[in-house]
Amino acid sequence: MIRIFGYLVWRSGYNRLVRQLRHLRSPRYVAALLLGAGYLWIILIEQRPSPAASRVISGSWIEVVGALALLGAVAWGWIFGVERRVLAFSPAEVTFLFSAPISRRGLIQFKLLRNQLLILFNTLLWTLILSRERFGASPWLRSLSIWILLTTLSFHRLGASFVRTSLSEHGRYGVRHRVVSMAVLGIVCVALLVSVAEALPALEAGRASGALAFLSALSAQAERPLPRLVLWPFTAMVRPLSAVTTMDWLHAVGPALALLLLHAIWVVRSDSAFEEAAAEASLDRARAVERRKGQRRRSPVALQRLPSFLRLSPVGWRAGAIFWKNLIAVLRMRRTRSAALAVVAAGAVAALCSIRGQTTLADVAGWLALTWAGVMLVVGPQWVRNDLRGDLSKLDLLRSYPLRGSSIVQAEVSAAAVALTLIQFALLLVAYLAFIRSETLRFDLAERTILLGVAVVYLPLINFVGLLIHNAAAVLFPAWVHLGVGRPGGVEALGQNMLMIIAFSILLATTLVIPVSLGGGTVLLLHPWVRNWALIPGTVVLLGTLGAEAWLVVRWLGRVFERTDPATAGLPA
Amino acid sequence: MIEVDGLQKLYGDFPAVQGVSFRVGAGEVVGLVGPNGAGKTTTLRSLAGIIIPTQGQIRIAGHDLAREPVAAKSALAFIPDEPHLFEYLTVEEHLRFVARLYRVHDSEARIPGVLEELELSAKRTALPGELSRGMKQKLAIACGLLHRPQALLLDEPLTGLDPAGIRRMKRTIVRHAEGGSAVILSSHLLHLIEEICARVLILRRGRVVAFGTVSDIVADRPELAGLRLEDVFLALVGQEGETER
Repeated sequence: MIRIFGYLVWRSGYNRLVRQLRHLRSPRYVAALLLGAGYLWIILIEQRPSPAASRVISGSWIEVVGALALLGAVAWGWIFGVERRVLAFSPAEVTFLFSAPISRRGLIQFKLLRNQLLILFNTLLWTLILSRERFGASPWLRSLSIWILLTTLSFHRLGASFVRTSLSEHGRYGVRHRVVSMAVLGIVCVALLVSVAEALPALEAGRASGALAFLSALSAQAERPLPRLVLWPFTAMVRPLSAVTTMDWLHAVGPALALLLLHAIWVVRSDSAFEEAAAEASLDRARAVERRKGQRRRSPVALQRLPSFLRLSPVGWRAGAIFWKNLIAVLRMRRTRSAALAVVAAGAVAALCSIRGQTTLADVAGWLALTWAGVMLVVGPQWVRNDLRGDLSKLDLLRSYPLRGSSIVQAEVSAAAVALTLIQFALLLVAYLAFIRSETLRFDLAERTILLGVAVVYLPLINFVGLLIHNAAAVLFPAWVHLGVGRPGGVEALGQNMLMIIAFSILLATTLVIPVSLGGGTVLLLHPWVRNWALIPGTVVLLGTLGAEAWLVVRWLGRVFERTDPATAGLPA
Repeated sequence: MIEVDGLQKLYGDFPAVQGVSFRVGAGEVVGLVGPNGAGKTTTLRSLAGIIIPTQGQIRIAGHDLAREPVAAKSALAFIPDEPHLFEYLTVEEHLRFVARLYRVHDSEARIPGVLEELELSAKRTALPGELSRGMKQKLAIACGLLHRPQALLLDEPLTGLDPAGIRRMKRTIVRHAEGGSAVILSSHLLHLIEEICARVLILRRGRVVAFGTVSDIVADRPELAGLRLEDVFLALVGQEGETER
């Protein structure tokens, strides 16, 4: 069976590579390849410090920070859920493999093995990225450590998603089949809460004395028995990475491998338990349907009806239909609803804490919201993909509409920009409410209100330009860019996503050079006469220039879109 | 209504379609037939403005597709064999979406009628994921018919429909032609072509081998006299098959 799966993976991968390389007949793709290779060379190899300049990073530093980062990543998966993309079968795989005499467990193992391609690629990237900072044992041992870490986390995410799905979809049957997982999770949660509660006074004292004192307090608290126990699995996964000698590594790798093995068993067993729970719940549901026979059932999608103000009028900007369609798609995603609820709840709690004078909690919420708003500026355009990246698979349909290419590009990017801007506004609003009574910040309330207003003015256009960069990549290189609303995510794809974010940030900064120069120049020119009022014409010039840049790119991309031949563009079948 | 002159589409050196010229008048249904790879879909996608021809001119309702793409596309509808639908729009919202794209001012009054005509009224709040293959095809057809296109391009429109749906679809096509639409219908179902098409355009390896009514085509080739369209087709495209008189 392994040979059959191997054949499928090898031939599919080989043919895909050949198909993508064929696009190098186009000068556009050759230019992209050269630019990409140059970028990787600079980022991964040229910037590597010479051995003399490199420094050995403290192993304990890696362990504490790494363990906390892993704890955060794992907690995120449990709280917000993760997609089981790893187990998503293509229609062809469903047709050929599901009807073939292969056990379900065999299919899952096949998909897990296939996921190794992504993990191995990212292991290579991380090995190169981390080689800039010389720590740990040899590059080979470091690669192996990274592979163990990524694979274990990948398994953990999958196991967590099984538990979440089982609980949400199969109710009490899910709980029954998840007793062990639930018990472990419960113990860890209680231990974590107790640890945090005990550590809070020391951390609060550290925070008052500055960042370094806070970090020292954090390290000291992590060494206490209970937090140490809670953090042990995460520390064990990170420890091989920080091992300096081969002997250290050999000592550290045992627990990490044991954790990997435990996770592998958990995932494989989880899936069979998941199927059993699903079968039981299906039986129960069938009985319930039987009982309800004759009764009028509520339409399963009745809740998806739109409020009247969101109904689309038949008159107006034609491309407005595409804008509307994409916004509706975002609103209807389950993840959007969960995120909106979380932000509203966080905003309410932060405001309440701030008003009642509980500034520590409010400050934590405020800084978290501010950090996320900033992160969304560079990561958001990669996450919010309800634009051409989602619609290019329907290129035939888009091309048959009575719309100019530039109108389509404009509408597609605008919808994503609106969605992204709303997310950022919500986060900024949470931060604003959290800091409403704060007196420790550099800016007073009036200044913070002005800054919020400035964000309202600047963010939509900056987001539009950011999303335009991603959409330009999709229109120019549809054969090489990942298309679809979903994207490779999770720790397994962290390396490649990080490289994408760096490249995107460089491009975004480049597009801002001229507008910022002209806007700044205007402010400097007018400041002697009108003082701070010069910021207004400066803003107008900056936004005007940025808008003009965006307009030119939209027109150009529109022409490229109109000339793109769906038959030869290399779009996914 | 649909005018095609010297249409050519090359993929590298390979001519998918070459030297194709024909006209379809208002109220006329023309059948587009040919073996696999003959260039039917390439021709239809060129007419729909999806792919850009290497050479040739296409006019839809008097508008040059290359020079006035928006006006030309406003007058046409292309219904592909594989329905492309948007995952998060309900059946009714698909129609509202199309109404805005094509500025169907009377959409409020028209949408219920189209839903009724294609038996989609009960599914108006369903998302595409909840529809069967046939229902999805009906929705794609409804989206194509909503703006009363002057030119209707159908690529295997009966795929996935049940027998009753096929009958109703045939009636719908005929009714739209009677309403003044120029219709091009691509299908391998030759009995369907024979039944509802006034003229037939037969393609082989990207070239037109015959265009006209079946009797016109047979008149030029006495050896085919008395044969049905299926046999005429097989004889013209040079494929093996038993001839039935």
